[in-house]
Formats: sequence, structure tokens, C-alpha cells
Amino acid sequence: MATASETTLVTARNESGTKWWTRFLDPSERTLAMLLLLPAALLLALIIVYPVCRLVWTSFQNLSLTSGAPAAFAGLENYSLMLEDPVFWETTWNTVLITLITVPGALLVGLALALMANLPFKRKWPVRLSLLIPWALPLSFAGLIFAWFFHSEYGVVNDVLGRLGFEGVIWFNSANWAFAAICLTIIWKTSSFMALIILAGLQTIPRSLYEAADVDGAGRLRQFFEITLPLLKPSIVVALIFRTITALQTFDIPFTMTRGGPGTSTATLAMYIHQNTVDFLDLGYGSALAVFMFVLSMGVTAVYLRMIRAKG
Amino acid sequence: MSHDTPAIRSIFSGKPLRILIGFILVMNGMFPALWILFTSLKTESELTLKPITWLPHAPTIANYLRAFTDQPLILFLFNSFMVALLSTALTLFVSVLAAYALARLHIRGRDLILSAIIAVSTFPLVTLLVPLFEIMRALNLLNTWIALILPYTVLSLPVCTLILVSFFEGIPRDLENSAMIDGCTRLGALFKVVVPLAAPGVFTAGILAFVNSWDEFLLALSFNSNPMLRTLPVGITLYQGEFAFPWPVISAALVVGIVPVAVLIVIFQERVVSGLTSGGIKG
Repeated sequence: MATASETTLVTARNESGTKWWTRFLDPSERTLAMLLLLPAALLLALIIVYPVCRLVWTSFQNLSLTSGAPAAFAGLENYSLMLEDPVFWETTWNTVLITLITVPGALLVGLALALMANLPFKRKWPVRLSLLIPWALPLSFAGLIFAWFFHSEYGVVNDVLGRLGFEGVIWFNSANWAFAAICLTIIWKTSSFMALIILAGLQTIPRSLYEAADVDGAGRLRQFFEITLPLLKPSIVVALIFRTITALQTFDIPFTMTRGGPGTSTATLAMYIHQNTVDFLDLGYGSALAVFMFVLSMGVTAVYLRMIRAKG
Repeated sequence: MSHDTPAIRSIFSGKPLRILIGFILVMNGMFPALWILFTSLKTESELTLKPITWLPHAPTIANYLRAFTDQPLILFLFNSFMVALLSTALTLFVSVLAAYALARLHIRGRDLILSAIIAVSTFPLVTLLVPLFEIMRALNLLNTWIALILPYTVLSLPVCTLILVSFFEGIPRDLENSAMIDGCTRLGALFKVVVPLAAPGVFTAGILAFVNSWDEFLLALSFNSNPMLRTLPVGITLYQGEFAFPWPVISAALVVGIVPVAVLIVIFQERVVSGLTSGGIKG
């Protein structure tokens, strides 16, 4: 490692033949590079860096816009309130459950869709389109469309169930069925994205590997587990990271399908943050919830990154 | 259907399974949109028939007329379109500059910056709801397009920058160098030579940014409560009355909302797919 970088250093110095720092940046380029990166840096500072600092600060404040009282330092009050708040625990549990159900669910469905889409179809565009449309459809639209699908009287799901001889379900009156409907909708909506990523991975696997396996007499199933899956791993991991992070932020689909109901049984943490912030204008408490989600989300990312490094 | 013979031959040579799989794939992707289209063409009385009808018996456009008159749907479309267009333009401008710097100039810590960009793209935007709300309130930007354009730009910035870096790196340096010898400035060469050559990448990045903005719901719901400034995803939730849920009208509004993005996707499908897979965007 040390030798490698030393070699680079020596080569760089020899090539440029001037002062040591030119290996980093040509002086005329330095200003230009900073100027070119400046707009992006300013936007990130305004929309992410400063807000995050402010978020942490606000979470230690008593700041409710409805009370009219000025902001006051509250220490860990918001956080202790949070730990005693049953709705916080319920919405967090719902969020974790949605993540645990829909991420593997979307991965399995997405893998199946990708394997199907990878068949040598004569016309590729209908297949591609059928994967792109669900991806491009706004989540809120998907929520509304599937709320109509699962309508107890006039929904197509109960109609099909009825034709198959099953009793229809009043989906949105029971916490469990409403939760199931939400998870099915999320899996439908997100599996296409998974499929697109996995399909791209599938298409980079050289055919010759399968031909060699055929010669060796390996069956289809063995080829799948010993060639396809291992080579797909990088694309699957990328898809999993993004899907898990977005699953933790689930808002649109439960909001448009059930508004969190019945009661708060299908409300997510993101919905609870939104409610405390926008509806109740309790910015202090909302911030504490958001800090919790931020830590949760960063923790998940860190775990995934470790996994990639450990196995890659 | 002039290909009768090959079609028949293919069915008899073991391809019906593939046709069935293709049908399943297409139905999985299209059925929800198709069902909403059918619903939007049904009359209210047809919708209360039991058992439910699948195809509309007497197709009507009455629901579409109501969709535009019950709520200012045109305004929702206009707001969504302008916010998406402006944030796409801003995203492209900012990410073209940043990507060029990262692809061409010898920047110390380039890999660190690229990793930071990837980290930003996994950032949970929900957590910024409170501070962004406060910032927009302090700057008097609530209920303006800008309150959405700025966050949406940051939302798409990482993926667009990553796509553009890989496109810029694929363009030979000699082309810019010769442009600069001909008297172009470095920035002139960027916009006159590099960007046109990277047009497919710029397009791809632009579509992803547009779809990101077009779809966003939470910030739009929270920052722009003025009915005149609602975007389409938020506006569509307003059709719901206190007790009534006028499904045919909502369906018509949904169809109106799906069409623009569907057209975009149909035209640029290959580029969208390549962009999705090269940038690894959020689902």
C-alpha cells in the first residue's frame, strides 16, 4: 500500500517536474475546479448541511408554533417524551415491519420479473415499458390506484377473489388487512425498479459461462445458484441499499391509501414526523423524531457498506 | 399481422410459455394503469353495479370534464410541470459544472467527493422536513415554486452528477483541447463541445431529474398549502370529499397525471433504463 502510493508520488513529481502540490491540482485548474463545484456545494450546504445542523439544534428545543411561547432550551426533554410515546413506538414498528416485508418481497418479485424479462423476446419494448411505467408512476398515484383496487365493494381484488370462490375482504377496516394491502402495493411499485437493476446485471453475465456449465453437465438450477446469483450480487446489493433506505422513509403510499388508519395502525414514522411538524407545528418534537430516523437510516447504510466491504 | 407463418411456427415450437410470460410481465406493469383508465370511462351508475364490470359499457368523458372543473387540475399540472422543468434545468446546470470538474480537472480528494455524492443520494429527505420548513418559512418561500425547486434539485443532483461524470469521462480530451486551441475558453469548450457530445447522458440525467420532481409528494404537501400552488400528486388527493370518494373523477385525474410521464418514458425508454442502471437511482 505504502509502496504503491510512494510510487505514484514519485511518478507524479517526475512527470510534472514542478512543485509537489501540482500532483493534486494544476494552479490554473484549481480556481476553475472550485468555481465549478461551488453551485453544487452551495445547494448542498443550504438544503442538507445547514438543515441537518439546525435539525439537531431544534431537537433540543421546546419549539411549538401553536403554543406561541418563544423557543426554549429543553435538553433531552423531546427525546424522553419520544421514548414514552406509544405512537412513536407504534409508527417505528410499522416502519421497520414495512421495511422487513417489502424489501425482501420486492427483491424476490423483482428477481422473478428480471429473469422473465431476460428471456429472448422478439419485441423488447413492451417488456421494458412494463417495468418502467410502475417505476415512473408517482408513489402517491400508486397508493390511490391500489386503494381503489382493494375497495371492499367495487374493487377488482375482491371481484377476482369472489370469482375464485373466496370471500372478499374489507381491507381497510382491519389493521392487519390494511397493512397487507399497503405492503402489497409497495412491493408492486418497487419491484420494477429492482427488476431493472437486476436485469442490467443479468445482461452483463457472459453467455459462455452457461455454455461451459452445459458442457460440464450442470443443470439449470445449479447454473442459477452457482453462476447467476453470485454474479448478480453487486447489482442486488445496490438495489437493496436504495430500497431499504427508501422503505424507512415510507410515506406516500400509506398516506394516500389509509391516512394511517384504522387509528394509527398503518401510520409510519415519516407520517408521524409530518403530522407533528406540519399539522401540530411542534417543531421540537418533530425534530427529535427526525434525528431518530436519521440515525436509524445512517446505521442501516453503514451496515450495508460494511457488508459490501467484508464480502467484496 | 403479415407474419402468420413464423407466429404459428413459434407457437408450435415451444414458445407459448414465453408468450404467457410476456403477457404476465406486461399485465403486471400495465394492469393498474389500464384499470384506472377503464374506471375513468365508466359512469357513476355503472361503478355501483354488482358484480363489477371490467370494460366500460358506455364509455363517457364526463369524468374528465369533472376532473378539470371540480378542482383546478390545469393549475396542478402547470405547477407540477413548471416545478419539474425548472428544477431539472437547475439540476442539469449545476451537475454539468460539477461533473466536468470531477471528470476532467485533477481535484484533490476526487474519490472522497464522489463517495460523498453517493452518500448524499441515500439521505432520508423526510428528516429535513422540519429544518427545511423553518428555512423556507424564514425566507418567506413557503407557497412558492422555489420552496420545491431547491430541494428537488438537491434530490436529483447526486444521480445526475454520477451519470454525467461517466459520460464526460468517455469523451476524448483531444476534442476539447482542439477547441481551446481554436480560441475557445475552457467553459466555452465545455458547453460547445463536451455537453453536445454528452447529449445522451444529459438527456438521461434530465429525464431522471424530471421524474423525481414530478413524483415528489411529501415536501409538496408540506410546503405549499395554498391550493393555487399545489402540484399534481398533492392536488389529486383533494378530490376526496369528507365522506365521498368520487372514484371515476379521481381516476380521470390520475390518467391525466400519468399520461405526461408515460409519454416521456415511451419516447426515451432506452435512455431511462441506461440512466437508471448507470446511476443507481432511488426507487
